[in-house]
Amino acid sequence: MHAPTLPPTQLFGGFLKMKHPAVLLAAVLLLLSSALICYRIIWLKYPILPAAPEKVWQLSIDALIRGDEKETTVMMGVPYTHRRQNVAEERIRSGRLSFNILREGINQVGIWSGTLGREAETIGYRATIQVQPQRPFQTKPPGLPPYPANIGESEQRLAKRLVKKWDTLPPAERLQKIVAAVIGIWGTPPPIDQDLRSWSGFRERHSQLEAFLLLLRTADLPARVVEGLQLVESVTTKTLVWIEVWVGQEWDSLQPETGEIYQKSVPLLPLTIGGLPAVRIINGELSEVRWTLNRQITNQWQMHFERIMRSNRWLDRWSLFRLPEVFQGTFRILILVPIGALMICILRNMVGFPTFGIFMPVLMALAFRNTGLLYGLGIFASVVLLGYGARHWINKLRLLLVPRLSVILTLVIIFFTVFALIGNKVGLRELMAVGLLPFVILTMTIERFFIIIEEAGVREGLRTAAGSAAVAAITHKILHFEPLQLTFFVYPELLFAVAAVQVLLGRYTGYRLSEFIRFRKLWRTS
Amino acid sequence: MEDIMNFNTYSQLRQFGILGMNRRNAEYIMRFNPRPSFPLVDDKLMTKRLAESYQIPTPTLYHVIEYHGDIAGLHEMLNDHQDFVIKPARGAGGSGILLITNHQELRFFKPNSEVMSWTDLTYHIFDILSGVYSLEGLEDRALIETFIHPDPVFASVTYYGVPDIRIIVYRGVPVMGMIRLPTKASDGKANLHRGAIGVGVDMREGVTTTAVHHSIVITHHPDTGHPLSDIPVPYWEKMLYIAARTFDMTGLGYLGTDIVIDRERGPLLLELNARPGLQIQIANRTGLLSRLELIDKAPLDIFTTPEMRVEWALKTFAPSSST
Repeated sequence: MHAPTLPPTQLFGGFLKMKHPAVLLAAVLLLLSSALICYRIIWLKYPILPAAPEKVWQLSIDALIRGDEKETTVMMGVPYTHRRQNVAEERIRSGRLSFNILREGINQVGIWSGTLGREAETIGYRATIQVQPQRPFQTKPPGLPPYPANIGESEQRLAKRLVKKWDTLPPAERLQKIVAAVIGIWGTPPPIDQDLRSWSGFRERHSQLEAFLLLLRTADLPARVVEGLQLVESVTTKTLVWIEVWVGQEWDSLQPETGEIYQKSVPLLPLTIGGLPAVRIINGELSEVRWTLNRQITNQWQMHFERIMRSNRWLDRWSLFRLPEVFQGTFRILILVPIGALMICILRNMVGFPTFGIFMPVLMALAFRNTGLLYGLGIFASVVLLGYGARHWINKLRLLLVPRLSVILTLVIIFFTVFALIGNKVGLRELMAVGLLPFVILTMTIERFFIIIEEAGVREGLRTAAGSAAVAAITHKILHFEPLQLTFFVYPELLFAVAAVQVLLGRYTGYRLSEFIRFRKLWRTS
Repeated sequence: MEDIMNFNTYSQLRQFGILGMNRRNAEYIMRFNPRPSFPLVDDKLMTKRLAESYQIPTPTLYHVIEYHGDIAGLHEMLNDHQDFVIKPARGAGGSGILLITNHQELRFFKPNSEVMSWTDLTYHIFDILSGVYSLEGLEDRALIETFIHPDPVFASVTYYGVPDIRIIVYRGVPVMGMIRLPTKASDGKANLHRGAIGVGVDMREGVTTTAVHHSIVITHHPDTGHPLSDIPVPYWEKMLYIAARTFDMTGLGYLGTDIVIDRERGPLLLELNARPGLQIQIANRTGLLSRLELIDKAPLDIFTTPEMRVEWALKTFAPSSST
């Protein structure tokens, strides 16, 4: 046996410093992760924060129709998915009629058609709508619509004279002036008497809605009539009609009867836009049309599931949502385990926390999934304590290592069995769920606990136990934080980002928090 | 706890040139200690044989027990030796080491006067063989070695057991030294985490300086009450030379060398450690990092022989040179 003879360069140069490749790898991983996320958000229109508290409503439209001998067609405006809303779980009731969904302009129309004879038929539409009112509907200014057909040229000229003095104002102020004018406040200077008289004449022949549309059109403010519902818990037989006015960046909603502009906090659900009625029937009689809105505490998972299942995009087809539901549950948890590992990296390498084994707290946290945190920790502590007592006693028997560990393993299983039986007697499900605790980990923990106490004292043993329990509890909380689960489930590429942080932590050569305490006497005493 | 809140703490640690655990692992152990060389130091039997081939003296080996059957040889050995030490070849941090000061009719006396039966002794050996004390739980061998009778120089500051000298060697240059003194609490063992005392050594003078016990700075031995500073360390330069040679022996760039001073034979290489602890910085009240950086800055050609490296270290590392 003799020494390895190394060339001097290798002796003194050491190994290549790996700092830059690690940073590079982390950067590549981060880039990959954010590129995939951007792709999903920008091209696949995923929500940026899948777990943000969102307003989810259930809309039901029900109608009773009576047909005649000819073919009956019912057309209803139905909501569809766009930037501000996400429509899912659509259910149709069509009875003997056939159903189809068509695009009509910017509207989506559900069409029920068929021959009914004299009998009545109930039709229905149901959908879950997730509203994101904070998002702008569109950013491109719309074109000006033509004048309404029933407005004559003289009326157009009249309107021009009336709004001319506001031409220089910004759109929002122009809108305010027009609202005031329609209510009857013209401001100074007022229009000439003749114009005012002609305007009164116009108002007698036309509705206030038309008066608004005329003045808005003349003032070059794009406007459109919208029929829809106010998003409140309600059952109504009548839709709401309002005017949307483009004021530069977005649409303002104007109540045509009162001239009131809806606050942004009052969410509205448009059904048809551009004057199309929300419900139309050809050859038949429509009775009892009912719109029902229910606020829904939904399951975010369902929303994503629905939209991803309907998509044919490449990344959607490779989504975790495509897994059979049984396995999805496992992956919700599994996909967060790397975060638990990251936590342990931080606690051990940056804080300097003692734990039994490296990943034992993560496995403990996984086991607490079945028992809950308190019962889990309780069961864990009692098994370790009972096991420690047994190990102490077994020590006198002088068993060799492998058989000794086997005895402890058997004891652990016996404890589980007893716990389960007691749990069954007193009706505590949590105690019966112990069977899924990681028994191998428990066995090794008992052995390590014993050895640490023997070698480094009870204090060190308890400190390590407390450290492990704390890390397990934190990890458990992370693993069961539903918004985080959902975020990772929707964007599994976040795992690359987690790996990037882990790589960077692997190159953290700074001090640990515990070393501040450890070395403080150096300047305390010198 | 207020130290944690202190933002200056980080820069203070840097200013003292303190080497932290993360930097030790990433920048020194992972960079300078090639993995294939680890077995040379993790296995005490391999270290011993390697040291012999480099004419570095080590404690006399009486017997090696590799299989349960080898126990038979123990009886023979007992006839020749009254005192001995049983240790696992791959033990870490002093675990599994058993000191026997005397034996009579298969009753074995430990230094604290506890008595062990033959069954107790063989149970301990079997534990060693099954890997209870080994680094990765691998099967192990039990070494039976001579009981070191330490040089009396540290007798006044040793409760019982054998003090040893830990020297950190970086790229073959001895960097920092510390005497490890057993206490009552450490059960005669020289491992700091078991309660032994670490005493810093002035690199140039070879004289003890400050001491640490359980992370607390002390001036006197807690059991014997004698002062710990200003004790001249015998064979200091010779031990630095042994330490410097362990680099040529193992090819490990960052190494802890443990040496004992035998009353008759002088310094003996006890074991090597590829992951030496950081407590030596507290004992010496000096950071390792600043010294390691000095070595990195020095020109390569002055480190070609162990003699040159020791000479350079003696010249460069006075206790105050780093701060």
